[in-house]
Amino acid sequence: MRRRQFPPQSDLLVLLLVLGALVALFGLGTDGFLGKATLGSIANRIPALMLVSTGMTLLMVTGGIDLSVGSVLGLCGAAAGVLMVDDAWGLGPALAASIALGALVGSINGWISVKLRLPSFIVTLGMLEIARGLAFLATHSQTKYIGAAIESVGAPIAGWVVSPAFLIALGIVVLGQLLLSRTVFGRHLVAVGGNVEAAAISGVAVDPPRIWAHALLGGLTGLAAVFNCSRLGSADPNAGVGFELSVIAAVVVGGTSLRGGRGSVLKSLLGVLIVATLEAGLVQMGASEPVKRVVTGCVIVAAVLADTWRRRT
Amino acid sequence: MILRARHLTKRFGSVVALSDVSFDLRAGEIHALCGENGAGKSTLIKLLSGVHPYGTYAGHIEIDAGEARFRSVRDAAAAGIAVIYQELAFVDELTVAENICLGTEPARWGFWLDRNQAQRRAAEVLARFGIALDPATPMRSLGVAQKQLVEIVKALARDSRILILDEPTAALAEHEVERLLAMLEELRGRGIACIYISHRLDEVFRIADRITVLRDGATVCTLAPAATDASAVVRHMVGREIGELYPRKARLRGPALLEVEDLAVADERGRQRLGGISFALHAGEVLGVGGLMGAGRTELLMHLYGAWGRRTAGRVTLSGRPVPGEPASVLRSGIALVTEDRRRFGLHVEESIAFNLSLSSLGAVSRGGLLRPGAEQKRNADCARSLRLKADKLSAPAGRLSGGNQQKVVLGKALLTGPRVVLLDEPTRGIDIGAKLEIYRLIDGLRADGCAVLLATSELPELIGLSDRILMMRDGAIGGRFEDGAAIRPEDLLRAAIGAAPRPGRL
Amino acid sequence: MRVILAAAVLAAALAGAGCKPSATAPASNTQTAASPAAAPAPRPKIALVMKSLANEFFATMAKGAQEHHAAHAADYELVVSGIKNETDLGEQVNLVEQAVAQGAAAIVIAPADSKALVPALRRAQQQGIVIVNIDNRLDADAANKAGLSAAFVGPDNRDAARRVGLAVAQKLKSGDEVAIIEGATSAFNGQQRRAGFEDAMQAAGMKVVAIQSGDWEMDKANTIAANLLSAHPRIKAIVCANDNMAIGAAAAVAAAGRTPQVLVGGFDNIAAIKPLLSAGRVVATADQHADQLAVFGIESALAVLKGAKAGADRATEVDIVTAASATGPQPRP
Repeated sequence: MRRRQFPPQSDLLVLLLVLGALVALFGLGTDGFLGKATLGSIANRIPALMLVSTGMTLLMVTGGIDLSVGSVLGLCGAAAGVLMVDDAWGLGPALAASIALGALVGSINGWISVKLRLPSFIVTLGMLEIARGLAFLATHSQTKYIGAAIESVGAPIAGWVVSPAFLIALGIVVLGQLLLSRTVFGRHLVAVGGNVEAAAISGVAVDPPRIWAHALLGGLTGLAAVFNCSRLGSADPNAGVGFELSVIAAVVVGGTSLRGGRGSVLKSLLGVLIVATLEAGLVQMGASEPVKRVVTGCVIVAAVLADTWRRRT
Repeated sequence: MILRARHLTKRFGSVVALSDVSFDLRAGEIHALCGENGAGKSTLIKLLSGVHPYGTYAGHIEIDAGEARFRSVRDAAAAGIAVIYQELAFVDELTVAENICLGTEPARWGFWLDRNQAQRRAAEVLARFGIALDPATPMRSLGVAQKQLVEIVKALARDSRILILDEPTAALAEHEVERLLAMLEELRGRGIACIYISHRLDEVFRIADRITVLRDGATVCTLAPAATDASAVVRHMVGREIGELYPRKARLRGPALLEVEDLAVADERGRQRLGGISFALHAGEVLGVGGLMGAGRTELLMHLYGAWGRRTAGRVTLSGRPVPGEPASVLRSGIALVTEDRRRFGLHVEESIAFNLSLSSLGAVSRGGLLRPGAEQKRNADCARSLRLKADKLSAPAGRLSGGNQQKVVLGKALLTGPRVVLLDEPTRGIDIGAKLEIYRLIDGLRADGCAVLLATSELPELIGLSDRILMMRDGAIGGRFEDGAAIRPEDLLRAAIGAAPRPGRL
Repeated sequence: MRVILAAAVLAAALAGAGCKPSATAPASNTQTAASPAAAPAPRPKIALVMKSLANEFFATMAKGAQEHHAAHAADYELVVSGIKNETDLGEQVNLVEQAVAQGAAAIVIAPADSKALVPALRRAQQQGIVIVNIDNRLDADAANKAGLSAAFVGPDNRDAARRVGLAVAQKLKSGDEVAIIEGATSAFNGQQRRAGFEDAMQAAGMKVVAIQSGDWEMDKANTIAANLLSAHPRIKAIVCANDNMAIGAAAAVAAAGRTPQVLVGGFDNIAAIKPLLSAGRVVATADQHADQLAVFGIESALAVLKGAKAGADRATEVDIVTAASATGPQPRP
């Protein structure tokens, strides 16, 4: 008995349709939404979310999860801020340091989860608190103002609408998708997440892919932290509070399963766009903060339901 | 006549699963239903048991000369039909009594569970059928065969008159099969009718009053066992002439590749599970490993692959070099394993066939970590062809293939690593006869190519038919060694497995 | 293959959107009827960007702005937005950018952080948008370095806080122990209020035993106050930089059973503090006339839009409110 099967391309189309519908809805319902300025402002506010969603997709494919990304965002941003302001580092070295710090934290998360066989949910929950505390310690609980040195990354390029941050993030999204679908590493991620016992029997080393996925996510978070700082011209120790939920929401809306094995970086990007467009549109329509949260929450639940229903048929 | 099915037709979209099937069942009859996987047996059972309710199929079902319109499984159960599935439906956490009363729990005032009443009821039913089992035993501590008996008792406790058993002996050892068949015969004496679905024709011929063969969703014929024989039934099932069931064996034995000396292995709790195992496996031969459930066949194979157990003594070498201790390295050294539980250990059921085939040998179709899709696709296509894999496209999920094709995929994955030694654990379990033949052909092909094959199987005919030599395991040790396939008699093997007085045999 | 296809679709969508001109059509046609000869000037859009609308203070501010708008609907369009808590800086930057994208002519903003909002506001000003800063002053250094000039409309926080502090100190003896719970440490108005409290306590001869930040939040202040009460058994007063925190502190004092002995001071005079004032759980607070703050900001913006020079800073009135004067303002001492 063959069940009717939706081809995988159809999810991509569905996501595009939803995005298109949202854009059309808000475009008609408010003025100015379809303009370069609004779409540009959406594009420039999402690079951090794009980067971390890419990393989170790869990690969730292996069946892991990282709840500490918001705190790590704050911590790496704080580190970059402190280095640039107190130690007069340039943007380049500070960026490298932020990425390295993020990768280090990610590796720690990964190593503890994998080698000590603890659920990554719990381990990263602990790291969420640790990293946030460290961020506050590093900045003495104050916003550290950096100034023009960091702003160029997040500001729109003259003449274009989008910022360098957006373009870099887009490039990394593409690389992430290629990593997942076209490399041996990507295959191993899917194998470990889909059925770790079968993967082990098939000769796949099951620990390294998971640890690397954590580290990669951490590094991307470090990069995202600098992008985030450039929008404020400062390092805010409170940056990223609640960020992990936005990331997970975007990835889930994009169709990656929380149970591992299935995932697409590209679809997560669409998830990011949908969530960001939804928020921007709601603000444009004058919706209050509570209403925004209720609506966004409903969309996420609807996305998960749609995904589950589709799997059953 | 207790049950009559007339002109049943069931479609799923454009696929016709049953086409004008008619079937009847008398009271006190054991009626066997035979057919390959995909022949429609499961669908027929689902119709009869209410899984596909009235209205989703054409044709009618009559019970006791009245039309049965089951709207749900409950209706069917109320009409006296109970199904005992291959995947047993019990709750491990509860006791025997609680499982027997599941769904019909005795309760005071409607919701307060009456444990004593449940125990009494269970004890009474167990006694009625002569089963010596304490109702307070937790299900978890029972063996598969006993769990199955509890399933049957549960069905009988509901005053079922028609039992449908789906491959009941697949996971049982010889003596457990005996007990089950005896029980069914007793039930027959009490007027309970049975629909018995099985591939094991020896059992079917022993116990069935009538045999109905299904093929491609239609009834082929209904026969009395006395009027026919196994090969005729197989012919009806497969629809074509089959030559010898097992391929001819020519002696091809080469040098010893895998040598096991005095191997002793303990499990993670420190209990000794294998002891004193010594043998040599040669290129170009199939060494069969037989034994009852729990004898240690799977443990041996998994340990050789580095996937189970801690070695406490002995050596394992491949062409003189010690074999590594974990699967990835073992695979690289040229030993491949096809596991017993293919859905759990063998396949990624949600991923595509192509994904599964390539997984153990991605290095061969990639360069510097980057996959080469063209090379991968070609290699997979070639592999699928040589395996005669029946699938529309290799991008379809592996979980949707039939059991036989799934097994081919697992085998293909192992073979693509180019192994010199292949360890096979129950390679034809749960597979229909047509696919079995193909796997036998593949195994023979491996022999011819100079591979060394270690074949663990619980089906004696298969063991004798395929192996050049046989080791019979018993309680973690080797209970008997047998050379020269043709002269081996099943009774001798069984004796070695059980541990009766050993007959003289050569090493 | 799918990657390329998707990237192409995305690029096309962005490009297509870019080609569409930004819509700035006026929402009402009343102008057309009034002056048929000349082309009707569209009403300028003023974006009021608040801090957390969960804080009653800002809700009152927004209400005041909306009442003003209702009375002057023909003059301008009003868009009000706020963030979800006092510290979500990133979100406030998003709101600024969105206001710019929506074609706002002026942005009246109560920044959640005195430095971090500067880059985004400067970018907005570079596009010709008028920026008016209310409630919490932007950091002068940072603004100068970035080339941002925004008039500040708001109270002299330091002086007002000093007056609240004195009102509390009046009921104490010289040498008594007091604590200060300040706002977000990087907010200028918070820094000013802390300084004002310190001024008052010094002038009255009180001993300040602790200063901690409650980040403007009720929960945090509650926890801090509870800790202070156990760490300093002889403490006589806790002054807080806003009413939300004062409510939190007062609750901690009540929970410890020390209400008559420990006085609490606040700032903002939100509706929720009035019952506490009458009950004597809070002694004094400052009324910044929140509903007027935004209005002053909007009027300042409108003046500049109509051609006036970028306004100078405007100091607004603050009245000290105690239980006795809860119904009306008290004269300045």
